[in-house]
Amino acid sequence: MRTMTPERSLSEQFPRLAHNGGVDAGELERLRLRAHRFAEEQVRPRALDIDRRAGEDPSWFDWDLVRAGGEAGMLGLLIPKPAGGGGGMATQAAVVMEELCAACPGIALIFGAHALGISPLLLGGPSQWDGVLAELVASEHTSEPQLMACAITEPEAGTDVEDPDLLRLARITSHARRVPGGFRLSGTKRFISNGSVARWITILMPTDPTAAAETWTCFLVDTRSEGFAVSRVEHKMGQRACPAAELTFDEVFVPDERIVGREGDGAAATTIVLACSRPPVAAIATGIARGAYERVLGWLREDPAAKGLLERQHVQLALAGMEEEIHLARQLYMDAATELDHTALGDAMSHPAVRALAHVPASIRGRAPVRGWLHSERTRDATVALLHRTTSERAVTRSLALSSMAKARGGDVAMRVTGAALELAGLRAGPVRAELEKLWRDAKLTQIYEGTNQLNRIEVYRGLCQAGTIQCLPPLRRIHPDTDNNAPANANARGHASANGNGGRS
Amino acid sequence: MSTTSLAERAEIRALARELASRELTPRAAALDAGGQDALHECWRLLVELGLDRALLDEQHAGAGLGIAELLATIEELAVGDAGIAMSVLLCNTALATLAGEQLAGVAAGTRWTLAPAAPGTELTLSDGRCDGRIACALGAYDADGLVILLDGPAPLAWTLDVSAGGCEIERDLAQMGLRAAPAASIEATGVSCVPALDGSNGGSAALGVADVLALLRAGTAAIAHGITRRAHEMALEYAHARHQGGVAIIEHDAVSDMLSAMAVRLACWPQPAAAPAGLATERAHALAAKITATDAAVASTTDAVQVFGGTGYMVETGIEKLMRDAKYCQLFPEPNWVAHDQLMRSQRSGRAA
Repeated sequence: MRTMTPERSLSEQFPRLAHNGGVDAGELERLRLRAHRFAEEQVRPRALDIDRRAGEDPSWFDWDLVRAGGEAGMLGLLIPKPAGGGGGMATQAAVVMEELCAACPGIALIFGAHALGISPLLLGGPSQWDGVLAELVASEHTSEPQLMACAITEPEAGTDVEDPDLLRLARITSHARRVPGGFRLSGTKRFISNGSVARWITILMPTDPTAAAETWTCFLVDTRSEGFAVSRVEHKMGQRACPAAELTFDEVFVPDERIVGREGDGAAATTIVLACSRPPVAAIATGIARGAYERVLGWLREDPAAKGLLERQHVQLALAGMEEEIHLARQLYMDAATELDHTALGDAMSHPAVRALAHVPASIRGRAPVRGWLHSERTRDATVALLHRTTSERAVTRSLALSSMAKARGGDVAMRVTGAALELAGLRAGPVRAELEKLWRDAKLTQIYEGTNQLNRIEVYRGLCQAGTIQCLPPLRRIHPDTDNNAPANANARGHASANGNGGRS
Repeated sequence: MSTTSLAERAEIRALARELASRELTPRAAALDAGGQDALHECWRLLVELGLDRALLDEQHAGAGLGIAELLATIEELAVGDAGIAMSVLLCNTALATLAGEQLAGVAAGTRWTLAPAAPGTELTLSDGRCDGRIACALGAYDADGLVILLDGPAPLAWTLDVSAGGCEIERDLAQMGLRAAPAASIEATGVSCVPALDGSNGGSAALGVADVLALLRAGTAAIAHGITRRAHEMALEYAHARHQGGVAIIEHDAVSDMLSAMAVRLACWPQPAAAPAGLATERAHALAAKITATDAAVASTTDAVQVFGGTGYMVETGIEKLMRDAKYCQLFPEPNWVAHDQLMRSQRSGRAA
């Protein structure tokens, strides 16, 4: 049974796409078809086998699939065009995720976790284009593609670290210690998707453990660094194709130029990254639900063992309910993604200054003086200032709320639809049962990762019911004439962030 | 009917509870991983207590329990491992169908199972020969004996010679839940089979096929309730121990609401065999109890994993296993939507399901 293609194009389903400056609806449709083809030809045929192998040995990993994904353009999707990538944002990532997850959520998560690892670098602006991002693109079509991961969760702090308020009370045990020329990172990060296979990891740690929220900072870590170790790979209930690892950092050195953004901006960066990553996670959940629906419908239509069931009103009502839930889940994640891309962050990404830098050849951007300027404290401050000029904390808060709503609803839909599909088929359904059971196991994770559904609904309350504003943009700072003094940033800088409460649009 | 006194019932239940806590819970992960050694060891312990033939009388080396005691025992075992509890249920229902002379030939300590099947679509029986295929028959892998229960307008129970030529039993490697009742597909080509069910084996009430199905459903409900209890215990303990946002997570409404919902589901347990108001009532009640208890188990185990968060999604904690076991209870002996249908069919026709 092959998956079905929708009767309506994306622009017909989502008229707002036509008015979304950042997204070309035709290009998006072509991307969706490309992802669909990759999913059908490469992902789905391997899904059960990979799930079984990784179930027996959690560290087992299918690099061939990653290479195939690289060939299909699934790795560089979010990397900015000046760095050689696809230049996609949340909408593109979400559309691709739904297609891949209808085939296999675990395999899709490899590409999703890679994108999550890249996300903080996008906030770093043009300074990040010519380093690791370019290296990732260069590796995409080679026999050794590089993967990324993002490490936030700690053994004693899971939900805590994804919420700026809870972060202040969290039991953070990791620590980035200032040393000449950079930082030394120590601690443990847990449940890190792609953690055991990633070449690069964006990681969040405090530079002052007594003020974790204020000094939460994003670093880019080379996993070949001394002191880095994969301490275990978890045996998961589902989504097994993508390994979740515990990572140990023992005085791992990270040079100054691999601080992503500025010291102390990590909490704001996390909030924005979550606003960006939750629509694709909602799409993951929607894809899982769709995969289960398509499989059970195919079974009901084609398997002699299911003869007559489609004539039963109960079955018809159950299928209609699934279709309804999937449709609503897709509307929610597309709304959240386009809101983010168009309203919350779109202007920053397409700002004339950014576009102008994109026209500067990489060979010139790579020259020492230009490179030094791009990584200077002044440029980092200017990047933050640009963010303040192009968006507001209220816009990002609202966007985060919509993303969280889509994510929470999507996770619930995935559980309900996979559960209902499995119940329709029952234990006697033959080979399709194994696929449905896998999707049901896979679905549960969508209610947990990227913040539990409960935490996501608190975000909905804050952003929509309360119409509140989270301090989610890094603070504005006076731009110093001395640009490269490597002085530690003011640990209390967040205290006077966005004093105008409107995200510093002044 | 059972002749056990209240004190004896309490003692049996306490023994089962202790066995579950001391022997089954520590082996649950190994059983879930498909370890045959762990399964054989657990089975040996169950046989020592006579739980493999709990419904049979002393004459047949049974424990002489009544249905209510068996269900209570199974519930306790399910708190330790639901797959083992299912194996006990299946063995007891299978043996309860056997005629006296068949029973005499069943060796001590052997594990039997019972596989419900749809006549026509799955299996056909003709002239003492059986043809067809049953997928995912719980407990059938490595079982010493097999009873097929054909649930149709005229329900039938037959014993199938599993060692006969033409009978292929292949382990179901995809089995997601209740893995200590190892499932297999059964492919029969002209395999000889013998009618069972004469109801003369004593110990329990005389069981017709419909009664056996009711017992299977009531037993599944008891297993589901055991799973729900275990999920609640584990989630509650974790909610006290785990801190987020500077407090134990039980202090967060988001978590305590889920724990409260679990407690409510436990309080609403319908006790399938509690009302001996005649078999017709019991059969319908067993269906209703199975639906209610298994839906509750799925809801509570799903919530329990949510309480654990990312930790709960990891196999080593043992909480996600409860979710998988609960889901299988919802699908056995039939999916709950079919159980609803059966319930209403009996209402429509005015006869027992």
